[in-house]
Amino acid sequence: MANSVLAPARASEQVEITRWDVQRRRTWVLFLIPALLIYTIFMAFPLFNSMRLSFYQGQGLTPDRYVGLENYVTLFTNPLWRDRFFNAVGNTFVFFAIHMLVQNTLGLLFATLLSNTRLFGRNVYRAIIFTPATMSVLVTGFLWTLILNPRWGMLNQVLEWIGLGALARPWLGDANLALPTISLVSSWQWVGLPTMMFLAGLLTISDELSEAARVDGASAWQIFWRIKLPLLRPTIGIVSVLTFIGNFNAFDVIFAMAGARGEPAYATDLLATFFYRTAIAGEHPVAQPNMGLGAAVATCTFLILLTGVSLWLRFGRGGEETLAG
Amino acid sequence: MTRRFSPGMIVTHLVLLAWSLVVLIPVWTMLINSIKPKREIFRNPFGLPSEVTLDGYSNAWTAGRFDLYFRNSIIVSVVSLLLILLLGSLAAYALANWRSRLSNILYIYFIAGLMIPIRLGTINLFQIIQSLGLTDNLLGLIPIYVAMGMPIATFVLTSFIRSVPAELSDAARIDGASEWRVYLSVILPLIRPALATVTIFNLLPIWNDLWFPLIFIRNQEARTVTLGVSLLFGQYQTDWTRALAALSMAAVPVLVAYLLMSSQFIKGLTAGAIKG
Amino acid sequence: MKLRLTLLLVIAMLLGLIPSVSAQGGEIALTMGSWRVDDVAQMQVILDAFHAAYPNITITFDPTNPPDYNATLRTQLEGGTAPDLFYLRSYATSRQLFEEGYLEPLGDLPGLMENFTEAARAPWATDDGLPYGVPFIAVSHGVYYNIDLFNELGLEVPQTWEELLAVAQKIKDAGYDPFANASGDEWTIAEIVFMNIAPTFIGGYEGRQAYLNGERCFNDEHAVAVFQAVADLAPFLPEGQEALTYYDSQQLFLMGEAAMWLGGSWDIPFFESEAPDFEWSVFGIPAPEGQEQRYVTFHMDAGMGLNAAAPDDHKEAAKLFLEWMTTPEFATLMGDTLPGFFPISNHPIELSNPHANAFLALNEGAGLDVRWAWEKLLDGQPDGYTLMQNGALAVIAGTMTPQEAADALQEGLAQWFEPAQKCPAGM
Repeated sequence: MANSVLAPARASEQVEITRWDVQRRRTWVLFLIPALLIYTIFMAFPLFNSMRLSFYQGQGLTPDRYVGLENYVTLFTNPLWRDRFFNAVGNTFVFFAIHMLVQNTLGLLFATLLSNTRLFGRNVYRAIIFTPATMSVLVTGFLWTLILNPRWGMLNQVLEWIGLGALARPWLGDANLALPTISLVSSWQWVGLPTMMFLAGLLTISDELSEAARVDGASAWQIFWRIKLPLLRPTIGIVSVLTFIGNFNAFDVIFAMAGARGEPAYATDLLATFFYRTAIAGEHPVAQPNMGLGAAVATCTFLILLTGVSLWLRFGRGGEETLAG
Repeated sequence: MTRRFSPGMIVTHLVLLAWSLVVLIPVWTMLINSIKPKREIFRNPFGLPSEVTLDGYSNAWTAGRFDLYFRNSIIVSVVSLLLILLLGSLAAYALANWRSRLSNILYIYFIAGLMIPIRLGTINLFQIIQSLGLTDNLLGLIPIYVAMGMPIATFVLTSFIRSVPAELSDAARIDGASEWRVYLSVILPLIRPALATVTIFNLLPIWNDLWFPLIFIRNQEARTVTLGVSLLFGQYQTDWTRALAALSMAAVPVLVAYLLMSSQFIKGLTAGAIKG
Repeated sequence: MKLRLTLLLVIAMLLGLIPSVSAQGGEIALTMGSWRVDDVAQMQVILDAFHAAYPNITITFDPTNPPDYNATLRTQLEGGTAPDLFYLRSYATSRQLFEEGYLEPLGDLPGLMENFTEAARAPWATDDGLPYGVPFIAVSHGVYYNIDLFNELGLEVPQTWEELLAVAQKIKDAGYDPFANASGDEWTIAEIVFMNIAPTFIGGYEGRQAYLNGERCFNDEHAVAVFQAVADLAPFLPEGQEALTYYDSQQLFLMGEAAMWLGGSWDIPFFESEAPDFEWSVFGIPAPEGQEQRYVTFHMDAGMGLNAAAPDDHKEAAKLFLEWMTTPEFATLMGDTLPGFFPISNHPIELSNPHANAFLALNEGAGLDVRWAWEKLLDGQPDGYTLMQNGALAVIAGTMTPQEAADALQEGLAQWFEPAQKCPAGM
């Protein structure tokens, strides 16, 4: 992937430019224009322009008063905004950490188990693991809300039934438990994606390598740690960065399970819900959005994402390049 | 070498079976409760229904206006996907053939979008859609979804078209075919698997999207299924039978489509994953 | 520059495509914005009645989802696509709209001054009393109770706060949940628990005004008493209440598992349709022992505003509707069509719905007031609503004492609300 990203053109640049070439080139430009236009107008331009708006203030839809860095100063120093902003940043990192720990570890485990081609029912397992990922986050979120309901929910009933009734909790109402609970639900839903990607990665690792190691007396455990895991490094990097991007964008699951306010007491407030309230919906009951400040929140999220992705580009792909070279 | 019953294999099955239950039980809960009378859900949430009722479905379908929401979701998804495939493959064709510094830059410009969620541009998008008079209009969602789909489409399709042997296109060109002709009759048929991958990668996020309908659609006439479901769980009154029926209805079409095509689906995903 | 141009071109094209909606032959079609998505059928009855009286005016009711309403309306007003008539939230939210020029002043609307008291107009009027909205809907609050369960347990409707707690204890001892209320949806604690009982402990309208003009501090004994009352209720809330939602609460009450529910009148239609055979009634928040005066939170919920940017013929027609809204016919029709939503005008009206009448009966002899946070306390940050909500939740969770919650309220409001700044700091 790395090579194709950075060098799409095959090396031979020294082509004679004939009239025919010019004509072809013209067609290509025509081919590119529609995609370029729609992508620029509805993605690149709004992204750029939203960041510009973070330097503006004003009522409602079109902040038009240039205020310099005031929005950022408010966001970082005014206790009202600062506390919620850093709370949301912290929560988002916790959310991400749990996904890395649970979703991606499980994904790696399932992929390793599924990569055994002799496994009976392999395709069925694979299909089941991926099933929740096809459903709307809203649907799974509401569904789990019912399951976790302290009064009627199955989880607490099952706990009681197996004699662990003491562990029953109001999962989504406890400020310490709500975010981990929702993170686990989200991991439940998305574990199919890393599973597929790891599986694809594992299947490209030739059997001969592990077979040779087995002949040399290596245990399955050693083969996994010494051979497969190192070869999976690029996939791990990609899975991590995709998880990172996805989590810093997560909104639906909180909206469905905890509401846009990140209840209880902002314990599940993520950057996306904070952004939604600040820029779009406002706080109940006044519901007065502040677009300039919201734009500042979006820009900060963007910068966090950019830092993460740059770190990955700088370090995370090291293994891959070694492999490729 | 049949090792089906080796201890390792048994553990493998136990782990995967346990997880399958964790996946299937909630889905079962949703389906079984959607056909129970309202109050029974609370008294007996996980057993079989004492009587089967389809009220939830008929209610959600007509009173909840799910007929309308489905139509809207289908329109938005299909139109967006067709446009993504068309514009994406055209652009990918050009990017794959045209080797210059400019095309390189354009390529990076496109795939940079893979790293940046479009939601961060919501504020300005809101203004643009508003100034186009497209709030409350399905037409307002489509260009956003198409733009959102461009990075993955150009990325997957460009690398796929590049892997098509150049001789095929060149042979057609020597026969006097225009670029348009080459694209249509040589490249398009060859990249069908990649088009499937792009479809899969885009269909789910578009069909399941809540964010943009939530922000841009206020009017009942233009609501999508996901937005409709979220409204059924509104601030004041909700009705679990109807809500679960709605959840089931929102999930089942995708679920059935997925189960029917799961092998192609997964092939497409892993193909994308290998390349991605 | 090019992008701007493209955008402009697209806009121009679209505008060309949109057929111009113009009045034909004196027929005027108005639109009405609202957050009451559940009232589509009922509003149709009311609007049809108006159409019958004024055949050349048709009004289309076009509601949006409650949480999105304010933002939507603002967007529409700024974009010039707002409806001609629209529901107005009380106090701060609509005041801002008026100050920005989006609302037509209604000082000369016939019937408005005569048929509504000054207090009734205040939520949609400037400090000088210039109205910019017609008072429309009020909602009441009280304690729903399960009649059968009360009979079964031999309980009487409590007359004092202490009796209420004693009744709750008896219900709890009998194995039922005394109250169905829960903090899974945080707004319910603010709006139907805290602000439901507040007037009783702060002395209704006069008491509330004393806070707003700086005579009282927000952590005085009365404010502490409200938080204390919330704390009194905490042990009687259902187990797992931290995660039970509004809907769960309604079901707990309807299923007979909880005997009482601090709730609002707007749920009458829902309860009636959800469980038609269920016998319930309502009593007002009882006053603590030794206090004669009872209070009811009778909240001014919605007014009707007129879009200042509407074309003149629309404005004229809309004013006819607004004038009609001040008549006794309208008050009766509205009260009967939308049980649980009460007209605000001074006409004596009789309602046909017994549950609505039960709520209305609570008002007799009681001091009426709006929810505490609405007037003035929403105008700054941190707003009074959020502070009260967070304080009440903390008291229920046991992480704050009532005194600490009141101190936090005072401290938060003192950050921007001038009358609160006179109070001694640092408690």
